[in-house]
Amino acid sequence: MDKSTIVCRCEEINIDEIESAINLGARTFNDIKRLTRCGMGPCQAKCCMNLVRQIISDKTGQPLHEIRPPRMRVPLGVTRMGALAGSQASSVTSVFGESTEEGETVHEEKL
Amino acid sequence: MKKSYDVIVVGSGVVGSSITYHLSEERNKEILSIDKDFPLSGTSGSTQAWVWVHNKTPAWYGELNMYSAELYSFLERKIGDVEYKRTGGIAPFFSEADREKALRLAEKQAEVGIKVEVLSRDEVLEKEPSLSRSIAGATYSKIDGNVNPFRLIELYIRAARKNGAKFSFYNPVMDITKENGLFKVTTQDGDYFSNQLVLAGGPWSKSLGKLLGIDVPIKQVRGQIVVTEPLRPFLSHTIGGVRQADNGEVLIGYSKEEVGYDLRSTLDIVQDTARMAIDFVPALEKVNVVRCFSGIRVMPEDGFPILGGIPGIEKGYIAAMHSGITLSPLVGTLMTELLSGGETSIDLERYSLNRFDSLQSIG
Repeated sequence: MDKSTIVCRCEEINIDEIESAINLGARTFNDIKRLTRCGMGPCQAKCCMNLVRQIISDKTGQPLHEIRPPRMRVPLGVTRMGALAGSQASSVTSVFGESTEEGETVHEEKL
Repeated sequence: MKKSYDVIVVGSGVVGSSITYHLSEERNKEILSIDKDFPLSGTSGSTQAWVWVHNKTPAWYGELNMYSAELYSFLERKIGDVEYKRTGGIAPFFSEADREKALRLAEKQAEVGIKVEVLSRDEVLEKEPSLSRSIAGATYSKIDGNVNPFRLIELYIRAARKNGAKFSFYNPVMDITKENGLFKVTTQDGDYFSNQLVLAGGPWSKSLGKLLGIDVPIKQVRGQIVVTEPLRPFLSHTIGGVRQADNGEVLIGYSKEEVGYDLRSTLDIVQDTARMAIDFVPALEKVNVVRCFSGIRVMPEDGFPILGGIPGIEKGYIAAMHSGITLSPLVGTLMTELLSGGETSIDLERYSLNRFDSLQSIG
Protein backbone atom coordinates (compact mmCIF):
# COMPACT_ATOMS: atom_id res chain seq x y z
CA MET A 1 0.00 0.00 0.00
CA ASP A 2 1.46 3.38 -0.97
CA LYS A 3 0.17 6.94 -1.24
CA SER A 4 -1.42 6.29 -4.62
CA THR A 5 -3.61 3.45 -3.34
CA ILE A 6 -7.25 4.20 -4.20
CA VAL A 7 -9.51 4.63 -1.18
CA CYS A 8 -12.71 5.79 -2.94
CA ARG A 9 -13.28 3.73 -6.08
CA CYS A 10 -16.29 5.73 -7.31
CA GLU A 11 -14.41 9.03 -7.41
CA GLU A 12 -10.87 7.59 -7.67
CA ILE A 13 -9.50 9.31 -4.58
CA ASN A 14 -6.21 8.00 -3.21
CA ILE A 15 -4.58 7.98 0.24
CA ASP A 16 -2.45 11.00 -0.62
CA GLU A 17 -5.54 13.15 -1.29
CA ILE A 18 -7.16 12.04 1.97
CA GLU A 19 -3.99 12.89 3.88
CA SER A 20 -3.79 16.34 2.24
CA ALA A 21 -7.29 17.09 3.53
CA ILE A 22 -6.25 15.98 7.01
CA ASN A 23 -3.18 18.19 6.77
CA LEU A 24 -5.50 21.12 5.99
CA GLY A 25 -7.23 20.40 9.31
CA ALA A 26 -10.15 18.10 8.40
CA ARG A 27 -10.99 15.55 11.10
CA THR A 28 -14.28 13.94 10.05
CA PHE A 29 -15.40 11.85 7.09
CA ASN A 30 -17.82 14.53 5.85
CA ASP A 31 -15.24 17.30 6.07
CA ILE A 32 -12.81 15.21 3.99
CA LYS A 33 -15.61 14.39 1.56
CA ARG A 34 -16.26 18.04 0.74
CA LEU A 35 -12.60 18.71 0.05
CA THR A 36 -11.86 15.60 -2.00
CA ARG A 37 -15.26 14.26 -3.29
CA CYS A 38 -14.42 10.99 -1.52
CA GLY A 39 -17.73 9.19 -0.90
CA MET A 40 -19.82 11.34 -3.25
CA GLY A 41 -20.15 8.66 -5.95
CA PRO A 42 -22.69 5.91 -6.63
CA CYS A 43 -21.83 3.75 -3.60
CA GLN A 44 -22.40 6.74 -1.28
CA ALA A 45 -19.41 5.97 0.93
CA LYS A 46 -20.34 2.35 1.55
CA CYS A 47 -16.87 1.25 0.39
CA CYS A 48 -14.64 4.07 1.61
CA MET A 49 -16.22 5.22 4.88
CA ASN A 50 -14.30 2.95 7.23
CA LEU A 51 -11.08 3.16 5.23
CA VAL A 52 -11.14 6.94 5.56
CA ARG A 53 -12.03 6.79 9.26
CA GLN A 54 -9.06 4.46 9.75
CA ILE A 55 -6.71 6.88 7.97
CA ILE A 56 -7.97 9.77 10.15
CA SER A 57 -7.39 7.66 13.25
CA ASP A 58 -3.90 6.59 12.14
CA LYS A 59 -2.83 10.13 11.27
CA THR A 60 -4.33 11.99 14.21
CA GLY A 61 -4.26 9.42 16.98
CA GLN A 62 -7.96 9.93 17.61
CA PRO A 63 -9.64 6.62 18.57
CA LEU A 64 -11.65 5.13 15.69
CA HIS A 65 -14.90 5.01 17.67
CA GLU A 66 -14.80 8.80 18.14
CA ILE A 67 -14.70 9.51 14.40
CA ARG A 68 -18.21 10.24 13.22
CA PRO A 69 -19.57 8.30 10.24
CA PRO A 70 -21.29 10.35 7.50
CA ARG A 71 -25.02 11.07 7.67
CA MET A 72 -27.09 8.50 5.77
CA ARG A 73 -29.55 9.99 3.30
CA VAL A 74 -32.17 8.91 0.81
CA PRO A 75 -31.79 7.34 -1.70
CA LEU A 76 -29.71 4.56 -0.14
CA GLY A 77 -29.03 3.18 -3.60
CA VAL A 78 -28.98 4.74 -7.05
CA THR A 79 -32.63 5.41 -8.07
CA ARG A 80 -34.27 6.61 -11.30
CA MET A 81 -35.57 10.18 -11.17
CA GLY A 82 -38.88 8.99 -12.64
CA ALA A 83 -39.30 6.45 -9.85
CA LEU A 84 -38.73 9.11 -7.20
CA ALA A 85 -41.09 11.54 -8.92
CA GLY A 86 -44.16 9.30 -9.00
CA SER A 87 -47.13 10.85 -10.77
CA GLN A 88 -48.07 13.98 -8.80
CA ALA A 89 -47.29 17.53 -9.89
CA SER A 90 -44.45 19.40 -8.19
CA SER A 91 -45.13 22.16 -5.68
CA VAL A 92 -41.54 23.40 -5.53
CA THR A 93 -41.54 27.09 -6.45
CA SER A 94 -39.60 28.52 -9.37
CA VAL A 95 -36.82 31.03 -8.91
CA PHE A 96 -38.63 33.45 -11.16
CA GLY A 97 -41.30 33.70 -8.47
CA GLU A 98 -38.67 35.41 -6.31
CA SER A 99 -38.49 38.50 -8.49
CA THR A 100 -40.82 40.84 -6.72
CA GLU A 101 -42.03 44.24 -7.58
CA GLU A 102 -41.66 47.34 -5.52
CA GLY A 103 -43.92 47.06 -2.50
CA GLU A 104 -44.34 43.30 -2.62
CA THR A 105 -42.99 41.12 0.15
CA VAL A 106 -39.59 39.74 -0.71
CA HIS A 107 -38.82 36.04 -0.22
CA GLU A 108 -42.41 35.06 0.30
CA GLU A 109 -42.68 31.48 1.44
CA LYS A 110 -44.82 29.54 -0.97
CA LEU A 111 -44.13 25.99 0.03
CA MET B 1 -1.18 29.36 19.67
CA LYS B 2 -0.90 33.11 20.07
CA LYS B 3 -3.61 34.63 22.28
CA SER B 4 -3.82 38.26 21.09
CA TYR B 5 -4.86 39.47 17.66
CA ASP B 6 -5.86 42.67 15.91
CA VAL B 7 -9.00 41.01 14.53
CA ILE B 8 -10.93 37.85 15.39
CA VAL B 9 -13.40 36.64 12.77
CA VAL B 10 -15.93 34.16 14.15
CA GLY B 11 -17.00 31.79 11.36
CA SER B 12 -14.97 30.32 8.49
CA GLY B 13 -17.69 29.84 5.94
CA VAL B 14 -17.75 31.67 2.65
CA VAL B 15 -18.44 35.04 4.29
CA GLY B 16 -16.00 34.69 7.20
CA SER B 17 -13.19 33.20 5.12
CA SER B 18 -13.59 35.92 2.47
CA ILE B 19 -13.40 38.62 5.15
CA THR B 20 -10.34 36.93 6.69
CA TYR B 21 -8.69 36.64 3.28
CA HIS B 22 -9.38 40.24 2.25
CA LEU B 23 -8.20 41.55 5.65
CA SER B 24 -5.01 39.50 5.31
CA GLU B 25 -4.20 41.01 1.91
CA GLU B 26 -2.94 44.19 3.54
CA ARG B 27 -0.61 42.16 5.76
CA ASN B 28 -0.76 44.79 8.46
CA LYS B 29 -3.05 42.97 10.90
CA GLU B 30 -2.80 39.79 12.93
CA ILE B 31 -5.99 37.87 12.26
CA LEU B 32 -7.56 34.78 13.80
CA SER B 33 -10.53 32.99 12.25
CA ILE B 34 -12.42 30.62 14.56
CA ASP B 35 -14.98 28.03 13.45
CA LYS B 36 -17.10 25.75 15.62
CA ASP B 37 -16.69 23.02 13.03
CA PHE B 38 -14.73 22.81 9.81
CA PRO B 39 -15.14 25.06 6.76
CA LEU B 40 -17.89 23.74 4.43
CA SER B 41 -19.55 21.74 7.21
CA GLY B 42 -22.45 24.21 7.30
CA THR B 43 -24.25 26.42 4.81
CA SER B 44 -21.29 27.16 2.51
CA GLY B 45 -20.70 23.48 1.78
CA SER B 46 -24.30 22.61 0.94
CA THR B 47 -25.34 24.91 -1.86
CA GLN B 48 -25.84 24.92 -5.62
CA ALA B 49 -23.38 27.84 -5.55
CA TRP B 50 -24.92 30.04 -8.17
CA VAL B 51 -23.34 33.41 -8.62
CA TRP B 52 -26.75 34.86 -9.26
CA VAL B 53 -27.77 38.42 -9.96
CA HIS B 54 -30.45 39.08 -12.47
CA ASN B 55 -33.71 38.65 -10.57
CA LYS B 56 -32.54 39.86 -7.20
CA THR B 57 -34.86 42.73 -6.33
CA PRO B 58 -35.25 45.61 -5.66
CA ALA B 59 -32.72 46.91 -8.16
CA TRP B 60 -30.36 48.30 -5.48
CA TYR B 61 -30.00 44.78 -4.07
CA GLY B 62 -29.47 43.41 -7.58
CA GLU B 63 -26.80 46.06 -8.05
CA LEU B 64 -24.92 44.87 -4.92
CA ASN B 65 -24.94 41.32 -6.31
CA MET B 66 -23.80 42.55 -9.71
CA TYR B 67 -20.75 44.33 -8.27
CA SER B 68 -19.82 41.17 -6.41
CA ALA B 69 -20.23 38.93 -9.47
CA GLU B 70 -17.99 41.34 -11.36
CA LEU B 71 -15.25 40.78 -8.77
CA TYR B 72 -15.06 37.02 -9.35
CA SER B 73 -12.69 37.02 -12.31
CA PHE B 74 -10.38 39.39 -10.41
CA LEU B 75 -10.59 37.18 -7.31
CA GLU B 76 -9.58 34.11 -9.34
CA ARG B 77 -6.43 35.83 -10.47
CA LYS B 78 -5.53 36.38 -6.83
CA ILE B 79 -6.48 33.12 -5.07
CA GLY B 80 -6.54 30.60 -7.94
CA ASP B 81 -9.05 28.61 -9.96
CA VAL B 82 -12.38 28.40 -8.13
CA GLU B 83 -14.12 27.09 -11.27
CA TYR B 84 -16.09 30.29 -11.66
CA LYS B 85 -18.08 30.19 -14.87
CA ARG B 86 -20.22 33.00 -16.19
CA THR B 87 -22.69 30.72 -17.90
CA GLY B 88 -25.57 33.15 -18.18
CA GLY B 89 -28.66 32.59 -16.06
CA ILE B 90 -32.13 31.50 -17.14
CA ALA B 91 -35.15 31.83 -14.83
CA PRO B 92 -38.03 30.08 -16.60
CA PHE B 93 -41.69 30.93 -16.08
CA PHE B 94 -44.51 28.60 -16.93
CA SER B 95 -47.42 30.98 -17.43
CA GLU B 96 -47.82 33.59 -20.15
CA ALA B 97 -49.28 35.85 -17.44
CA ASP B 98 -45.78 36.19 -15.96
CA ARG B 99 -44.37 37.84 -19.09
CA GLU B 100 -45.64 41.27 -18.04
CA LYS B 101 -43.91 40.90 -14.68
CA ALA B 102 -40.73 39.74 -16.44
CA LEU B 103 -40.73 42.83 -18.64
CA ARG B 104 -41.11 45.10 -15.62
CA LEU B 105 -38.20 43.29 -13.95
CA ALA B 106 -36.03 43.89 -17.02
CA GLU B 107 -36.97 47.56 -17.02
CA LYS B 108 -36.19 48.03 -13.29
CA GLN B 109 -32.87 46.17 -13.47
CA ALA B 110 -31.78 48.17 -16.52
CA GLU B 111 -31.89 51.31 -14.36
CA VAL B 112 -28.88 50.02 -12.37
CA GLY B 113 -27.11 48.47 -15.36
CA ILE B 114 -28.21 44.84 -15.06
CA LYS B 115 -29.10 43.65 -18.56
CA VAL B 116 -32.06 41.28 -18.41
CA GLU B 117 -33.71 39.87 -21.53
CA VAL B 118 -37.19 38.41 -21.59
CA LEU B 119 -37.17 35.34 -23.81
CA SER B 120 -39.99 33.63 -25.69
CA ARG B 121 -40.38 29.87 -25.49
CA ASP B 122 -38.49 29.41 -28.76
CA GLU B 123 -35.66 31.64 -27.62
CA VAL B 124 -35.36 29.70 -24.36
CA LEU B 125 -35.30 26.39 -26.24
CA GLU B 126 -32.70 27.72 -28.64
CA LYS B 127 -30.41 28.46 -25.68
CA GLU B 128 -31.26 25.27 -23.78
CA PRO B 129 -32.81 22.64 -26.07
CA SER B 130 -33.34 20.23 -23.17
CA LEU B 131 -35.74 22.46 -21.27
CA SER B 132 -39.42 21.58 -21.26
CA ARG B 133 -41.74 22.78 -24.02
CA SER B 134 -44.24 23.66 -21.31
CA ILE B 135 -42.08 26.65 -20.38
CA ALA B 136 -43.76 29.90 -21.48
CA GLY B 137 -40.60 31.98 -21.42
CA ALA B 138 -37.77 33.07 -19.19
CA THR B 139 -35.78 35.99 -17.97
CA TYR B 140 -32.15 35.74 -18.98
CA SER B 141 -28.95 37.57 -18.20
CA LYS B 142 -25.36 37.00 -19.19
CA ILE B 143 -24.10 38.06 -15.78
CA ASP B 144 -25.18 34.97 -13.86
CA GLY B 145 -23.02 31.92 -13.38
CA ASN B 146 -21.77 29.50 -10.78
CA VAL B 147 -18.69 28.53 -8.85
CA ASN B 148 -17.32 25.46 -7.08
CA PRO B 149 -17.98 26.30 -3.41
CA PHE B 150 -15.51 23.70 -2.13
CA ARG B 151 -12.67 25.19 -4.16
CA LEU B 152 -13.76 28.76 -3.34
CA ILE B 153 -13.61 28.39 0.43
CA GLU B 154 -10.51 26.19 0.40
CA LEU B 155 -8.67 28.78 -1.68
CA TYR B 156 -9.84 31.73 0.44
CA ILE B 157 -8.36 29.92 3.44
CA ARG B 158 -5.14 28.84 1.72
CA ALA B 159 -4.56 32.38 0.47
CA ALA B 160 -5.32 33.90 3.88
CA ARG B 161 -2.91 31.47 5.55
CA LYS B 162 -0.22 32.40 3.06
CA ASN B 163 -0.74 36.02 4.12
CA GLY B 164 -0.24 35.06 7.77
CA ALA B 165 -3.84 34.69 9.01
CA LYS B 166 -4.42 31.97 11.62
CA PHE B 167 -7.33 29.53 11.74
CA SER B 168 -8.75 27.50 14.60
CA PHE B 169 -11.24 24.78 13.61
CA TYR B 170 -13.56 22.50 15.62
CA ASN B 171 -13.44 25.18 18.27
CA PRO B 172 -16.83 26.53 19.39
CA VAL B 173 -17.02 30.06 20.78
CA MET B 174 -18.71 29.89 24.16
CA ASP B 175 -18.63 33.49 25.34
CA ILE B 176 -17.64 36.96 24.22
CA THR B 177 -16.99 39.78 26.65
CA LYS B 178 -15.14 43.09 26.62
CA GLU B 179 -12.21 43.62 28.97
CA ASN B 180 -10.13 46.79 29.05
CA GLY B 181 -11.33 47.76 25.59
CA LEU B 182 -10.47 44.37 24.08
CA PHE B 183 -12.79 41.56 23.05
CA LYS B 184 -12.26 38.41 25.07
CA VAL B 185 -13.44 35.42 23.06
CA THR B 186 -13.81 32.33 25.20
CA THR B 187 -13.56 29.15 23.15
CA GLN B 188 -13.31 25.48 23.90
CA ASP B 189 -9.55 25.77 23.41
CA GLY B 190 -9.11 28.78 25.69
CA ASP B 191 -9.40 32.57 25.64
CA TYR B 192 -8.37 34.79 22.74
CA PHE B 193 -8.23 38.59 22.72
CA SER B 194 -8.68 41.08 19.90
CA ASN B 195 -9.08 44.74 19.20
CA GLN B 196 -11.78 44.21 16.55
CA LEU B 197 -14.33 41.44 16.24
CA VAL B 198 -16.37 40.24 13.27
CA LEU B 199 -19.34 37.90 13.63
CA ALA B 200 -19.72 35.84 10.45
CA GLY B 201 -21.62 32.90 11.88
CA GLY B 202 -24.16 32.42 9.07
CA PRO B 203 -27.09 30.41 10.45
CA TRP B 204 -25.61 30.61 13.96
CA SER B 205 -25.52 34.44 13.92
CA LYS B 206 -28.48 34.65 16.29
CA SER B 207 -26.77 32.68 19.05
CA LEU B 208 -23.48 34.54 18.50
CA GLY B 209 -25.38 37.84 18.78
CA LYS B 210 -26.86 36.73 22.09
CA LEU B 211 -23.34 36.45 23.53
CA LEU B 212 -23.04 40.19 22.93
CA GLY B 213 -26.58 40.92 24.05
CA ILE B 214 -27.95 41.75 20.61
CA ASP B 215 -30.70 40.22 18.52
CA VAL B 216 -29.70 39.24 14.98
CA PRO B 217 -32.97 38.86 13.09
CA ILE B 218 -32.28 35.93 10.80
CA LYS B 219 -34.25 32.82 9.97
CA GLN B 220 -32.92 29.37 9.08
CA VAL B 221 -34.47 28.05 5.87
CA ARG B 222 -33.65 24.54 4.73
CA GLY B 223 -33.14 23.75 1.06
CA GLN B 224 -32.85 20.20 -0.27
CA ILE B 225 -30.90 19.29 -3.39
CA VAL B 226 -31.03 16.18 -5.56
CA VAL B 227 -27.88 15.18 -7.48
CA THR B 228 -27.83 12.94 -10.57
CA GLU B 229 -25.20 10.63 -11.93
CA PRO B 230 -22.62 12.35 -14.17
CA LEU B 231 -24.18 13.03 -17.58
CA ARG B 232 -22.67 14.29 -20.80
CA PRO B 233 -22.63 18.12 -20.86
CA PHE B 234 -26.10 19.15 -22.02
CA LEU B 235 -27.06 22.17 -19.86
CA SER B 236 -24.84 25.12 -20.59
CA HIS B 237 -26.56 27.80 -18.49
CA THR B 238 -27.24 28.21 -14.79
CA ILE B 239 -30.99 27.67 -14.70
CA GLY B 240 -33.02 28.89 -11.74
CA GLY B 241 -33.34 25.62 -9.80
CA VAL B 242 -31.10 23.43 -11.98
CA ARG B 243 -27.45 23.43 -12.94
CA GLN B 244 -24.96 20.98 -14.37
CA ALA B 245 -21.57 20.85 -12.67
CA ASP B 246 -18.23 20.48 -14.44
CA ASN B 247 -18.15 16.76 -13.70
CA GLY B 248 -21.52 16.22 -15.40
CA GLU B 249 -23.70 15.85 -12.31
CA VAL B 250 -26.94 17.82 -12.42
CA LEU B 251 -28.01 19.55 -9.19
CA ILE B 252 -31.71 20.27 -8.77
CA GLY B 253 -33.64 21.96 -6.01
CA TYR B 254 -35.42 25.03 -4.80
CA SER B 255 -37.33 23.89 -1.72
CA LYS B 256 -37.78 26.04 1.37
CA GLU B 257 -38.66 24.84 4.85
CA GLU B 258 -38.31 26.53 8.21
CA VAL B 259 -37.32 23.61 10.39
CA GLY B 260 -34.46 25.13 12.37
CA TYR B 261 -31.01 23.67 12.07
CA ASP B 262 -32.05 20.26 10.78
CA LEU B 263 -29.85 18.99 7.96
CA ARG B 264 -31.76 15.82 7.17
CA SER B 265 -33.02 14.97 3.70
CA THR B 266 -36.69 14.03 3.67
CA LEU B 267 -38.39 11.79 1.13
CA ASP B 268 -41.35 14.13 0.53
CA ILE B 269 -39.17 17.05 -0.57
CA VAL B 270 -36.80 14.75 -2.48
CA GLN B 271 -39.81 13.41 -4.43
CA ASP B 272 -41.17 16.90 -5.00
CA THR B 273 -37.77 18.01 -6.26
CA ALA B 274 -37.61 15.01 -8.62
CA ARG B 275 -40.94 16.19 -10.08
CA MET B 276 -39.58 19.69 -10.45
CA ALA B 277 -36.53 18.26 -12.26
CA ILE B 278 -38.78 16.54 -14.79
CA ASP B 279 -41.01 19.63 -15.15
CA PHE B 280 -37.95 21.69 -16.07
CA VAL B 281 -35.98 19.08 -18.07
CA PRO B 282 -38.17 16.14 -19.13
CA ALA B 283 -35.18 13.97 -20.14
CA LEU B 284 -34.12 13.83 -16.50
CA GLU B 285 -36.88 11.29 -15.89
CA LYS B 286 -34.61 8.57 -17.25
CA VAL B 287 -31.46 9.44 -15.32
CA ASN B 288 -30.24 8.09 -12.01
CA VAL B 289 -30.25 10.03 -8.76
CA VAL B 290 -27.05 9.27 -6.88
CA ARG B 291 -27.37 11.40 -3.78
CA CYS B 292 -29.19 14.18 -1.99
CA PHE B 293 -28.05 16.82 0.43
CA SER B 294 -29.61 19.64 2.34
CA GLY B 295 -28.38 23.00 3.52
CA ILE B 296 -29.61 25.75 5.80
CA ARG B 297 -30.03 29.15 4.20
CA VAL B 298 -29.28 32.21 6.27
CA MET B 299 -32.27 34.47 5.73
CA PRO B 300 -32.36 37.90 7.35
CA GLU B 301 -35.96 38.74 8.21
CA ASP B 302 -36.27 41.28 5.40
CA GLY B 303 -34.15 39.21 2.99
CA PHE B 304 -31.25 41.67 2.75
CA PRO B 305 -27.68 41.43 4.06
CA ILE B 306 -26.84 42.55 7.59
CA LEU B 307 -23.50 44.23 7.20
CA GLY B 308 -21.47 46.73 9.18
CA GLY B 309 -20.77 47.83 12.71
CA ILE B 310 -22.82 46.41 15.57
CA PRO B 311 -24.80 49.27 17.12
CA GLY B 312 -23.61 49.96 20.65
CA ILE B 313 -20.59 47.64 20.45
CA GLU B 314 -17.51 49.61 19.57
CA LYS B 315 -15.18 47.79 17.15
CA GLY B 316 -17.70 44.97 16.83
CA TYR B 317 -18.92 44.09 13.33
CA ILE B 318 -21.34 41.67 11.75
CA ALA B 319 -21.81 40.11 8.31
CA ALA B 320 -24.83 37.80 7.96
CA MET B 321 -26.66 37.22 4.71
CA HIS B 322 -28.39 35.01 2.20
CA SER B 323 -26.50 34.62 -1.12
CA GLY B 324 -23.13 34.53 0.63
CA ILE B 325 -21.54 32.75 -2.33
CA THR B 326 -22.52 35.52 -4.76
CA LEU B 327 -21.76 38.31 -2.31
CA SER B 328 -18.54 37.06 -0.68
CA PRO B 329 -15.95 38.85 -2.87
CA LEU B 330 -17.68 42.20 -2.36
CA VAL B 331 -18.48 41.66 1.32
CA GLY B 332 -14.84 40.75 2.05
CA THR B 333 -13.72 43.91 0.29
CA LEU B 334 -16.23 46.21 2.01
CA MET B 335 -15.64 44.79 5.48
CA THR B 336 -11.89 45.23 5.02
CA GLU B 337 -12.45 48.88 4.10
CA LEU B 338 -14.69 49.30 7.15
CA LEU B 339 -12.31 47.64 9.61
CA SER B 340 -9.39 49.63 8.25
CA GLY B 341 -11.21 52.79 9.19
CA GLY B 342 -11.71 53.99 5.66
CA GLU B 343 -14.82 54.95 3.79
CA THR B 344 -16.55 51.96 2.19
CA SER B 345 -16.87 51.89 -1.62
CA ILE B 346 -20.60 51.34 -1.17
CA ASP B 347 -22.59 53.06 1.56
CA LEU B 348 -23.51 50.36 4.09
CA GLU B 349 -26.14 52.42 5.94
CA ARG B 350 -29.04 50.53 4.34
CA TYR B 351 -27.50 47.19 5.43
CA SER B 352 -27.04 48.16 9.08
CA LEU B 353 -28.46 46.06 11.87
CA ASN B 354 -30.04 49.35 12.98
CA ARG B 355 -32.81 49.03 10.41
CA PHE B 356 -34.74 46.38 12.27
CA ASP B 357 -37.46 47.73 14.54
CA SER B 358 -37.19 44.63 16.65
CA LEU B 359 -33.62 45.49 17.53
CA GLN B 360 -33.33 45.76 21.28
CA SER B 361 -30.73 44.92 23.78
CA ILE B 362 -31.47 41.60 25.35
CA GLY B 363 -28.35 41.68 27.47
